Amino acid sequence: MAEVTVYTTSTCPWCLKLKDFLQDEGIPFDEVNVGLDSAGAKRMVEITGQRSVPVTTIGDQIIIGYDPEGIREILNSSEG
Amino acid sequence: METKSYDVIIVGAGPAGMTAAVYCLRKGLRTLVISKDIGGQVNWTTLVENYMGFMRIEGPELMQRFKEQLKGENGAIIEDEAINLWHRKEGFVVNGKKSGEHLGKAIIVATGKRPKMLGVVGEESFRGKGVSYCSTCDAPLFRDASVVVVGGGNSGVQAVIDLLASNARQIYLVTNLELSADHVLVDKISNHQKVRIYTYHQVTAIHGDNMVTGVAIRNLQSGKEEQLRVEGIFIEIGLEPNSEFLEDLWKNNLGEVVIDCHCRTNISGIFAAGDVTHTPEKQIIVASGEGAKAAIKVWEYLMNVGSTRNEERKYIPPAERGEVYAPIKGG
Repeated sequence: MAEVTVYTTSTCPWCLKLKDFLQDEGIPFDEVNVGLDSAGAKRMVEITGQRSVPVTTIGDQIIIGYDPEGIREILNSSEG
Repeated sequence: METKSYDVIIVGAGPAGMTAAVYCLRKGLRTLVISKDIGGQVNWTTLVENYMGFMRIEGPELMQRFKEQLKGENGAIIEDEAINLWHRKEGFVVNGKKSGEHLGKAIIVATGKRPKMLGVVGEESFRGKGVSYCSTCDAPLFRDASVVVVGGGNSGVQAVIDLLASNARQIYLVTNLELSADHVLVDKISNHQKVRIYTYHQVTAIHGDNMVTGVAIRNLQSGKEEQLRVEGIFIEIGLEPNSEFLEDLWKNNLGEVVIDCHCRTNISGIFAAGDVTHTPEKQIIVASGEGAKAAIKVWEYLMNVGSTRNEERKYIPPAERGEVYAPIKGG
């Protein structure tokens, strides 16, 4: 499975929802809290060209916002 | 896709919708809740300090407790967006974007509101690239940055507080009138060295290249224009109702669904509660109370409908009834 990374902030409701979704689906992920990790925040802005969370990266693919179907689609196609 | 039928379908799962659902379930009604955003606006509220029973509670946590109470009553929630509501012989049909048709004998509309847009040049193209509607989410990304906050109400001032907590470098608060936020919030920012307040100003454009680099503002009294060099703009100018899909319901000039004191709309069998309605007090505790009222009235309505034959309840759209609704002045 491609490596999944989620960029979050501590108080963002959609970030919590996204992490719940990944946990419920049994999808392992790394979390970068951009509120606590300024290098991680810089990296997120560089790779996405924008400044909002949540962001999910799956390998080299990027999903901005809470989009469970988009995540499923990318993971299914990478497994196939 | 099979159409399931219920006694009541509740569209929306904020404080009004989830409270209504608990009341309906406790009455033994077959209840469906359909919502694209469980918790609604409260999820975006950092801290709630005026919901009775809780001295201080984070908005998302309060909504999690509502959700747990709803689950405790075995309530069914479908996470989906309702795209239309119409009527046929068997009852009301709610169409979910992904989940298809759901049939209900009665409906409670509790779809709440969403952030209003400014409508200026650059707002759409720089969305996410410096333009944000959620300080709760995005404030930490503006550490050491200069930022504009638009809106002088509680949400605007709270956004300034969120940005101060995230160590923003300079914050310009722009409002077209005086500040209208609660004093307890205003006191936290009014003399802060990082905050500059522009009353009687409006934002006229958002500029940038790949990201926001500046915001143009105009003094509404002198007409003078000024450019602020900033990396972000948080827009907190209020909310608008999620009521577009409710074509046959009477609404006021703000698009809010008009109800009577029993949460009844102009269509028999459709009730509404919470911030989507023209009830003036937009508070969590009021929305919850209105949800409870709507549920009790649904119960009474279904009891009365049960004594008549279903087909006798012919639905006639307001236009065909010759009814004309005059919007309520001032909402």
